Amino acid sequence: MIRYECFEWLAPLMTDQLVVTSLSGQRVEWGHLSKREADLNLGSMGNALAVGIGLALALPQRKVFVFESDGSVLLSLFNLPTLANLNPPNMAVFVFDNQAYSGTRISYPSATAGKTDLAAVAKGSGIEHSVTVSALADFKKEATAALHDGGLRFVVCKIEESVGHRNITRSDVDLLETKYRFVRYLERTEGKPIFQGRG
Amino acid sequence: MDENLAQGLVHGLRAAGVDFITYLPETRLSQILPLLQNDSSFQLVPVGSEAEGVSIAAGAALGGKVVASYMEGTGVYVSCYNILTVGVRYGVPMLLLVSYVGSFEDHRNSFLYVQRGIKLIPQLEALDVQYQVIRNGERLEGKVKGAVRMMNALKQPVALLFTEDFTL
Repeated sequence: MIRYECFEWLAPLMTDQLVVTSLSGQRVEWGHLSKREADLNLGSMGNALAVGIGLALALPQRKVFVFESDGSVLLSLFNLPTLANLNPPNMAVFVFDNQAYSGTRISYPSATAGKTDLAAVAKGSGIEHSVTVSALADFKKEATAALHDGGLRFVVCKIEESVGHRNITRSDVDLLETKYRFVRYLERTEGKPIFQGRG
Repeated sequence: MDENLAQGLVHGLRAAGVDFITYLPETRLSQILPLLQNDSSFQLVPVGSEAEGVSIAAGAALGGKVVASYMEGTGVYVSCYNILTVGVRYGVPMLLLVSYVGSFEDHRNSFLYVQRGIKLIPQLEALDVQYQVIRNGERLEGKVKGAVRMMNALKQPVALLFTEDFTL
């Protein structure tokens, strides 16, 4: 399974769901395929899952999708027990696990290339719906359920390491612009001010 | 910490409009937790690491909450990556409620805490996080309100460091 194919299928199906992405090629690929104001491309490792939790708790009426990588989840494993115990029903986490630190350019293997099973770690942390998929058809089933059903989902997507994102022209939208675009979108669609204080 | 101080701090947070708090219990200010838990003004989120406490609070802030993250001074070290990569770099207003363990006025200071205490302010300054040291309950509500105004004006994390009377 290739991550880009997953995104290519999913991006046109997204409506008002909020999306948080971490770093790596997924930020580039999702940013290329989806130009929505509801996308928060964080651009850092080990933060997307927690930021997604905060959004899901603050906006329980909105569905929050988090796109993570194996390296990013491994950096912040303490997120998993916290996520399990909070159990936000409006949140779906997709971990694109290529079993490597691809950004190193030497494909240095991550722990999931060895003995570590992230879905089992999540399950052991208490996340009931924690599964691994390795075929595009199975990804589509999980993503479809995440779009239409409630309940916390944690889906480890075993993917081939791909470097296609290196051929995608990087966005010139910087992090502050991303933040303001996202927040102004929420202010408009939620009908409430988010940033306090006026000049 | 004296019950009145705990009540004053919780009152100050409520009056300042804080409505979402991540927390990892610690040794100096934990008397505020039962008060927060019994107050429906606050959405409380227990965490396993101050690092995720900061990032969860940041997500909630972007979702419209007025947020705080309560931690021991050591938590600033644990979460400095998150403070920098999400809070500072993204420009997210959040109030860091920090017990200033190992400071001059920490009544329970010892060799266990002092190294963390003396480097805490340099750490915050390196992160460019504005801070204020709070030693007693004098004008506590006003100081908490001022910190919340500051974080909203700056759109950055701002820290309150609690020591002296708060460490009894």
